[in-house]
Amino acid sequence: MPKSFNNNMLSLQHISKYYQNGPNKAYVINDLSLDIEEGEFVSIMGPSGSGKSTLLNIIGMLDAPTDGYHYFIDQPVHQLKEKQRSALYKQYIGFVFQAYHLIDELTVYENIETPLIYQDIKGSERKALVADMLDRFGIVGKKDLFPSQLSGGQQQLVGVARALISKPKLLLADEPTGNLNSKQGEEIMELFRKLNKEDGVTIVQVTHSEKNAQYGSRIINLLDGRIESSITL
Amino acid sequence: MIKNYFKTAYRSLKKNKGFTIINLLGLALGLTIFMLISLYVYDELRYDRYNEKAGRIYRFNSDLKFGGNTGSYAVSPAPLAAAVRADLPEVESTVRFRMWGGAQVKKGNMNIHEHAVVFADSTLFKVFTLPMLYGNPATALKEPNTVVITEKMAGKYFGKVNVVGQTLTLNNNELYKVTGVIKDVPRQSHFDFDFYLSMSGFEDSRNESWFSNNYNTYVLLKKTADVKQFEAKLPEFLRKQAGSQLQSILHLTFDKFEQAGNYFKLTLIPLTDIHLKSSRVAELSANGSMEYVYIFSAIAVFILLIACVNFMNLSTARSSNRAREVGVRKVLGSSRNNLIIQYLTESVLITFIGAVIALIGARLLLPLFNQLAGKEMVITPQLLIGALPLVMAFSIVLGCLAGAYPALFLSGFKPVQVLKGKLAVGMKGGTLRNFLVVFQFAISVFLIIGTLVIYNQLQYIQNRNLGYNRDQVMIVQNVWMLDKQLPSFKQEIKQLPGVNNATLTGYVPMSGYGNSTTVFKDPVIDEKRSMMTQKWMVDEDYVNTLGIKMAAGRFFSKDMPTDSSAVVINEAAAKMLNFDKPLNSMIYSPQDDMVTSVKGYRIIGIMKDFNFTSLRENISPLVLILEQDGGGLCIRTQTKNISATIAQIENVWKKFSPNQEFSYSFMDENFDSFYRAEQRTGKLFIIFTIMAILIACLGLFGLTAYSTEQRIKEIGIRKILGAHVSGIVGMLSKDFLKPVLVAILIAVPLAWYFMQKWLQGFAYRQDIQWWVVALAALTAIIIAFVTTSFQAVKAALANPVKSLRSE
Ligand SMILES: Nc1ncnc2c1ncn2[C@@H]1O[C@H](COP(=O)(O)OP(=O)(O)O)[C@@H](O)[C@H]1O
Ligand SMILES: [Mg+2]
Repeated sequence: MPKSFNNNMLSLQHISKYYQNGPNKAYVINDLSLDIEEGEFVSIMGPSGSGKSTLLNIIGMLDAPTDGYHYFIDQPVHQLKEKQRSALYKQYIGFVFQAYHLIDELTVYENIETPLIYQDIKGSERKALVADMLDRFGIVGKKDLFPSQLSGGQQQLVGVARALISKPKLLLADEPTGNLNSKQGEEIMELFRKLNKEDGVTIVQVTHSEKNAQYGSRIINLLDGRIESSITL
Repeated sequence: MIKNYFKTAYRSLKKNKGFTIINLLGLALGLTIFMLISLYVYDELRYDRYNEKAGRIYRFNSDLKFGGNTGSYAVSPAPLAAAVRADLPEVESTVRFRMWGGAQVKKGNMNIHEHAVVFADSTLFKVFTLPMLYGNPATALKEPNTVVITEKMAGKYFGKVNVVGQTLTLNNNELYKVTGVIKDVPRQSHFDFDFYLSMSGFEDSRNESWFSNNYNTYVLLKKTADVKQFEAKLPEFLRKQAGSQLQSILHLTFDKFEQAGNYFKLTLIPLTDIHLKSSRVAELSANGSMEYVYIFSAIAVFILLIACVNFMNLSTARSSNRAREVGVRKVLGSSRNNLIIQYLTESVLITFIGAVIALIGARLLLPLFNQLAGKEMVITPQLLIGALPLVMAFSIVLGCLAGAYPALFLSGFKPVQVLKGKLAVGMKGGTLRNFLVVFQFAISVFLIIGTLVIYNQLQYIQNRNLGYNRDQVMIVQNVWMLDKQLPSFKQEIKQLPGVNNATLTGYVPMSGYGNSTTVFKDPVIDEKRSMMTQKWMVDEDYVNTLGIKMAAGRFFSKDMPTDSSAVVINEAAAKMLNFDKPLNSMIYSPQDDMVTSVKGYRIIGIMKDFNFTSLRENISPLVLILEQDGGGLCIRTQTKNISATIAQIENVWKKFSPNQEFSYSFMDENFDSFYRAEQRTGKLFIIFTIMAILIACLGLFGLTAYSTEQRIKEIGIRKILGAHVSGIVGMLSKDFLKPVLVAILIAVPLAWYFMQKWLQGFAYRQDIQWWVVALAALTAIIIAFVTTSFQAVKAALANPVKSLRSE
């Protein structure tokens, strides 16, 4: 029986994910094992279709692997029920998307506030937390604007702020800079580095940019659902 | 949390303005109509409930079969009321009305014909709740020649309300003392009289005949009485009361009378049922009809369903645009329940707004609706306050029902899938949506067919050759006032240049005038050789003035003195009498109500049948005799310059009778008023149908808009690959035409069945024509096609580069 290690944030052991394609199994993740420690900043790279997003979604518990063992902060995720899993990620995990995925009907302020509402946090407390976050990201002046009124970089900033509002231990980002120009991308990367160094947030990001990958402490190269190489910087 | 639900709901509705407007419009329109019809139905159901003792008041109905004819009457024999009071312990009180066909009311220099005049027993106020403002209800109608009038009439004749002790002159020489003033009779009452004359001054009210029905008789039962038991006693009671009279007149026992296939039955109808469920001979006023209450209720529910279906359809269709939002919210930690509540909040909010708009709409449209429905309904503040919680509860229930499917559907999305954008969720759930579109259009097609059939039937009634000519026939009323001068009045009118002919009688088709009697084929009274018939008093100009054709023999003539004992009958009577040679055969008619002696008449002519009652009924036997009747003077005028002719006639009237009001009507107007209820229903039906179709189209419009939006990229690519606009329009429209075709297949047989049933209520009807069905189907297809192709053409004409770039 495989076991998790105590200082690990998460541990994937012999994880596979395949889609049934007629009689054949089309493996997207193929017997992959990966441990990530608390405080790490991991960049996942690889060609399109190599399974990066799938891996990230499995880590984030949005997607379930077909086989394998998945531990998150010592909890055996593969044994948990849907409810327990969502309670776990609600508490510990934040997501940042390439397409930002802000809710168009909500203002910047309300977008950032939303996760807190789902965690049943009281109004006054929410106010303080969101105000803090707006301040920290320097977007106080934009709080009443709607996503459509912001540039891509600003939207992604809000996306990161929203992901961080519930103080996650693990931040998952799927090509967070994919839709941004290089200057905006750099700003987000700097922000990630700062979060990782100063606040100790564990970060896993998927990126196509060699340069952005360098912000991390480890680079994992994925090919056909397997780890081809893992380089610790 | 709640606040947040409302905020998001509001924002989302605001953001999707087009969707919101279409959805709100459809819903509000549907609810407005629903509310108006509910109001109408409520109004109809509230008739006579103002009476505090309504639950204990019943009216006697008599059903009579005698001599091959049958009659159902709202009136009963004069002695009935006193007899039930004396014989049956359940009775607390009774009251009788005796219709009098109006009276000439004179006060000072006013001399006006009033229609709403009736004789009533002094117990009137013990039975009915007619609050008396001045006077003593216990004694008001005890003395002969006393009258109780309404507040309105007190004002009209005296200019004040307290007029107890004042005197009115009726029919020029009868003095009536006002002994009471009551509040105007509530609108929702099956009778609406303004003058209640004391029955004690009406000699006939003391007649003892059980075989003459003229009195609308009401009974108030004791609180402890059991209606069923009471009603069960009636046959025995009647047998006892009427039996001996039967013996002395027809020399028959009641048993023999019944063995011959005749009957005489007394039944009860609850007061509160009269307005909707009774349409007998001699009702106090034209009643409503339960049939129409059912039809309208059904339409109201249909329209509401169509509006709900729209709502569901549009909401699910729109889900494509919201799938991403659902995904994001789930990633942010929202549970499925959170999302369900959020979408239900949105849906309830929109129904509530819709309901409020509908409430305002109903209030604004009420006057128009009243006019169409022939009502005077009002939305009182009390009604509004009473309705408000109902409207609230209703929007919550409706909102939840209509929002349940989209809510469950949307909240079930898997975030990974929707965020990847792999799910073409928008048009999924297509089966349900197609089913709902089928449902909507089936209702629409049903309503279109229904409308066309009703419209056709009404046209048919209007244009049917009734066997007489009602155009340009003017009827001058109350000519009996001229008394001995009548013949010379008629002569002078006939000589006017604008007048073709004139006949002196009140017995004209559709006038409501009638005189039901029994005639016998032999001088001895034998009910086996008898015929129940209408016997009308007319003069020799009758058929010529009304354009009635003779089938055989001749009509009455001035030059034939023997015609005073001659009759002219219609074909229906000839058939019923079944003489070998009807012409010159004799028939015998009783000379009084008690049927003690008969007079013989020679049949000198047979008229072609003409419809003298409603087209709902078959033509029944009719016997005309030559006798003066002062019910009216019918004048056939020339088409040219009608108003001048009327003025001339009025001048003649003034010459003969300078102090009397000149009142007249036109026969075709009377005819129209006879069918007004039907015309009204027809009109309302058409309006509701248009509304239903409009709402259904609104839904279809919204639906295509979304489906097109969904496929905008596909359309762009197809165009780049060389597709033609027409091909694309065809492709998009096809999806929506299929359910419409299915709807037609379902609706046509149903509509056929139900409308055939409705038509069966008419003895003279136009059966459903094939083109009605074809037209209905075509209309539905065209409407659906126009609605969908509007969107499709817009999409097909759009620049593909644009739509692809925006992806
Ligand atoms: N529902 C599915 N059915 C079949 N194959 C799928 C499905 N979802 C994803 N895939 C396949 O999984 C592979 C990996 O996808 P993804 O993780 O998104 O790759 P990446 O993010 O590295 O580009 C792709 O080749 C894709 O075709
Ligand atoms: Mg990817």
